[in-house]
Amino acid sequence: MSNSDLNEKMDSCPAAGHEVDLAGATLQDPEILARPNAFYWAMRHEDPVHYDPGLDMWLVSRYEDLQAVLADPITFSVEAGYKEQYAKGYIEDFKEILERDGGGFFPDAIMTDPPQHTRIRKLMEGAFTAHRVKQLEPEISKVVSGLIDKFADKGGADGVKDFAVPMTIEIICAQLGLDTFDPQEIQRWSLAITAQIGRMQDREQMVENAREICDLQNYLIAAIRERQENPRDDMLSDLVHARTEDEEHPTLTFKEVVSLARALLIAGNETTATALGNLLFILATQPDLAQELYDNVDDERYTTRFVEEILRLEPPVRGLSRMTTKEVELGGVTLPKGAHMLNLYASGNDDETVFECPRKFDMNRPNIGRHVAFGGGVHRCVGLALARMEVKVAAREFVKRLKDIKLEIPIEDIRYLPTIATRSIEHLPLSFSKR
Amino acid sequence: MSTLKVTLVERDGREVTIHDAGIGKSLMEVAKANGVEGILGECGGGCACATCHVYVDAEWQDVVGPPEVLEEMTLDGVSHITRDNSRLGCQIVLSREMDGLRVAVAPPQ
Repeated sequence: MSNSDLNEKMDSCPAAGHEVDLAGATLQDPEILARPNAFYWAMRHEDPVHYDPGLDMWLVSRYEDLQAVLADPITFSVEAGYKEQYAKGYIEDFKEILERDGGGFFPDAIMTDPPQHTRIRKLMEGAFTAHRVKQLEPEISKVVSGLIDKFADKGGADGVKDFAVPMTIEIICAQLGLDTFDPQEIQRWSLAITAQIGRMQDREQMVENAREICDLQNYLIAAIRERQENPRDDMLSDLVHARTEDEEHPTLTFKEVVSLARALLIAGNETTATALGNLLFILATQPDLAQELYDNVDDERYTTRFVEEILRLEPPVRGLSRMTTKEVELGGVTLPKGAHMLNLYASGNDDETVFECPRKFDMNRPNIGRHVAFGGGVHRCVGLALARMEVKVAAREFVKRLKDIKLEIPIEDIRYLPTIATRSIEHLPLSFSKR
Repeated sequence: MSTLKVTLVERDGREVTIHDAGIGKSLMEVAKANGVEGILGECGGGCACATCHVYVDAEWQDVVGPPEVLEEMTLDGVSHITRDNSRLGCQIVLSREMDGLRVAVAPPQ
């Protein structure tokens, strides 16, 4: 049975009897990356902590094992796992390019372990609390309706290029205080950064991506220098002038500020844009659900649960890496010290022992809040309240303004970005009519 | 008055009374800043991890109010320990009317 047939079969409930030969499979296979659920299923049932020889990584597939990893950030190190993944195969050359042309090589300050991580994390949290994000709702609604108005009369648009990407970029840039930006350039920078953990770039692409990241850093460094002189009411100024409670290191270093600004800009748009692409895909392919959303569009309870179930069913982040700092047993496997792992959150959300009929969109499931689309533990996505708000407003405004939303290409023709880190639709041609 | 008094009962029964809790802050922030045992706030106030779960004393339930839908969902995730008076500390924004508030820290997940 081909992989796509298997995935189709999994849409039925209960999911059963779909074997993928794990021995010959790797997550790097574009076919598996595009339609991964049968592969996830096979791992959870046959080999829950599965060694993928193509990636040289251990894939953690069961919900329960993911929870064990998330609960122990010292044994399962983000810092070591992320470092190992970053620009894998080319890190020395990559560093050299950044140091020569990009103002320096700035390791991600947030991708560290406690206690260093705790100091940085605390600083970031204030900016993203649910209460603060709530105040942004009117502003976000304005951005979203402005974008939809641009194409509402045309009868068609690309859900990714014309909506998801410009929307998330405009919102995070406004928060950071970046008022002169080129959305296309920011998207290129975002893809260049995420490619560093995607494990699918060759040398030529690495050099091209490194060049983009140099441009990104030079752009951010100029904006940061400006805030050092003249602070404003924006997140970039907050970072530059932040005081931590750590007496030895009361301020962020310049390297840390650049890395955090970069992380906020990229993580703040790329993953959310992916979530929006998935949302629009579902609205375009499940018209009954789109109608139901429209009928309940002003019911806060409905829209909130709707968004959570979208995030469970189609989590934007497929998997992020960890590395063991000592020998440890996980899911019946003894992992050696230094084992490189991929936490497959997408598989955790698909685990039928936790979420009944996992491939079915069911916003009434009782444990909807248990999904791991945002990870968990001390590294749980710091921007989750903003992300949820953006997806909710997008869902609401889309169905309020447009109807008969349809996919303009066959489902099989949907292409995904070549990366193991996220499952991102590349192009999403849609047709619709104005309400 | 820009501060108020709140009391949290830790799991072992020890009471921590905070006399200068800032109005407008969340109960989670205040509890963490005062080292209340069992209030972790792992997600930083994002209403996502339920590690600031408290039981609101009966006489304060009306003042504090019920959880919103997102908070309810997060509480659903720890449904084995939720009660009718469960709330997440990060979603309780302290207001003047809450002077004297009393809650108990919920057991670990």
